Amino acid sequence: MILELLQKVYRVSKALTVKSPAQKDVRTHLMHETERFRGKHTVDYETCIGCDSCNKICPTNAISMKHLPFKKQNIVPEVNLGVCIFCGLCEDVCPTKPKKSIVLSGGRYDMLSGGWHEDQENFWVQVDIPQEYIDSRLEAEEAARVKKELAKKKKEAEAAMKDKEIKAPISGEPNFSGGTL
Amino acid sequence: MQSLYALLQMYETEYIEDYKKSWKKVKLSNAEDLLKVAKALKANGLKTIATVSPTDFLEKNIIEMNYFFEDLISKRNCWLKCDISRELDKCEIESITPLFKGANWHEREAYSMFGVKFLHHPDLRPIIISQDFYGKAPFRKDFDWDAHEANTLQNIQTIVDAFKTEENENDKGIDAESSETVLNWGPTHPASGPIRLKVHCDGEDVISIDPDIGFVWRALEHLVTKKDFIGAIVAVERLCFMDNINSMIAYAQAVEEIAGTEITEFAKWMRVLLGEVSRISSHAMGMGGFYNALGLHTVAMWNMDMREFFLDFLESYSGARIATAAIEAGGVRYGLQENMLEELQLALDKFDATKDDMRAIFVKNPTMKMRAAKQGIITAQEVEEYSLCGVVARASGVKVDVRLDEPYAAYDKINMDYVTQKTGSANDRLVNLFEELEQSVDIIKQAKKHIEECIKSGKFNPTKDHMVKVPKKLPAGEAISRVEWSRGEVLMHLVTQEKATSPYRLKMKAPSFNHTMMLDKLLKGQTLSDIPLIFGSLYICQGDLDR
Repeated sequence: MILELLQKVYRVSKALTVKSPAQKDVRTHLMHETERFRGKHTVDYETCIGCDSCNKICPTNAISMKHLPFKKQNIVPEVNLGVCIFCGLCEDVCPTKPKKSIVLSGGRYDMLSGGWHEDQENFWVQVDIPQEYIDSRLEAEEAARVKKELAKKKKEAEAAMKDKEIKAPISGEPNFSGGTL
Repeated sequence: MQSLYALLQMYETEYIEDYKKSWKKVKLSNAEDLLKVAKALKANGLKTIATVSPTDFLEKNIIEMNYFFEDLISKRNCWLKCDISRELDKCEIESITPLFKGANWHEREAYSMFGVKFLHHPDLRPIIISQDFYGKAPFRKDFDWDAHEANTLQNIQTIVDAFKTEENENDKGIDAESSETVLNWGPTHPASGPIRLKVHCDGEDVISIDPDIGFVWRALEHLVTKKDFIGAIVAVERLCFMDNINSMIAYAQAVEEIAGTEITEFAKWMRVLLGEVSRISSHAMGMGGFYNALGLHTVAMWNMDMREFFLDFLESYSGARIATAAIEAGGVRYGLQENMLEELQLALDKFDATKDDMRAIFVKNPTMKMRAAKQGIITAQEVEEYSLCGVVARASGVKVDVRLDEPYAAYDKINMDYVTQKTGSANDRLVNLFEELEQSVDIIKQAKKHIEECIKSGKFNPTKDHMVKVPKKLPAGEAISRVEWSRGEVLMHLVTQEKATSPYRLKMKAPSFNHTMMLDKLLKGQTLSDIPLIFGSLYICQGDLDR
């Protein structure tokens, strides 16, 4: 009887010494963290090649493509988190290497934890591109265009020169075939 | 198999083919022969019908009916096809429900979704789709979804009217002499989930039960046809979130069969491992649900605690705890890292630490035995008659388990046996559930050991072997694939067209559909207090009930 009582007292007193298994504050930390956790997307607009694969594969049509004022690589994905089911297929199909341009794994888990209406209104993964980047891309594009044009002109000039060189000996002889039509 | 072939040859058929090991695939020339063939098949021992699945071919102007007959004892199956006209007023076929009681709701579903009329069906009412649904036969290829979207609220008044007439009808029987009325059990009952049982009762005695289902109908079978073959997995896994891996395995197998892809050995073993983890997570909730229905929540808490460790493994592997989307056609979606197996070991240890207490306190619970050992008894004959499967069938002593009958993935290399009970009572179903939990843990241990050994010896490359490429465009074809889901057999019938990028038709036969059909039979003559007990013991999930 007394032994039983002592055992009970001992068992209850363990609560004072044994550490509680809940050591993490779940409001700020995940109970279980993994590398592959599919959370909020991050979109890298610099590496994105604008292939539209993520938009095509998305089973819930949560992705829409934002248009950029460039000639090439001019779309970049934006995700509606209210529709997204976090299946991660967009990350799977993203072809950029070595780092994928749209990534969920390791993403943030606290997406709507603010609880304010502002948090709900802006429930999107938006791509904010700084003006400098747009300018630099436009400049680069312009430079590439100019360079290409110059190269084209040069090529044409060279071709013309070649034509002249080929034609030059012919032009010395009388031309019988010309002027029929 | 020989007698089956001889039997089928007696009728006019377009072809009789061998399909897989245990199937005969037959196409009847005349749909009128169906009833005769069905009768002969039943006499031959194929007493169970898995499902009835129409396929709508718009160009050919026909609807192809698929019947899947099964013999649970000798494991011979027959896939019967026949064509019927597509026009709504001529679209009719003889009902087989008088012969096979398990076909009842499946034919009603085909009637609601495809508008196929089943002649001489005892109770041909629409099922799943709500009475205010705009438009007819939503799964037909020419169904006007835009018009449906525009007019969703048009018939809303019919619900109100029906409710009012029902209310008046129900009050008629209540007077000084009698208290006969209809009670609604659900859809907001704490133990019911989104299902409504119209319980026709006299005082406390149940006279009959008419389940009203479709509260979580998402038209998954239609939804997959709008997605590509990869994106369809997210619709398929939503068959039921508790065991999503196995449903994706069934779908992936069907796609692989049509594409002619053979997956790697590593992927096969991973499917076993993940499938069993998923089964444990489902069974743990099923056991909890059984006791929850009776008002004891401790079991659910204990099981949830144990289940979390298995979900941790799923999260480490796939990045999500519940909607894992971890199985794709061609293998499994992610590679395996060794620390994940350590995490799985933690889960197995947790299970081993709690299982003895679990068995002593809850599974062998004397109060539960007194309450449930004589309730909801399903005999072996009824299992065959009503096409029951999974835990419910095995608790009645019927040896049926697709993992053993038609081994898929790497189950042919696993050492396992049928887990069965004798009487088929509600208590037996609980015991069977627990024993299957133990069996799953045993299978996981075997698979884990094998995977670890093979990684060590260099036979498996866990980061590269997990996937083989499946072509994006599939040829025309059709396949059926069966898996042992946590709740029973899931049969998926996949049809593709030439150069298809998305499924043309995917029929998902889910076990809860048949089990819910049993409620009326089991509860007739019982009292109201038996409803939660028997409903909980049948291990029903509304996800795969409505799809």
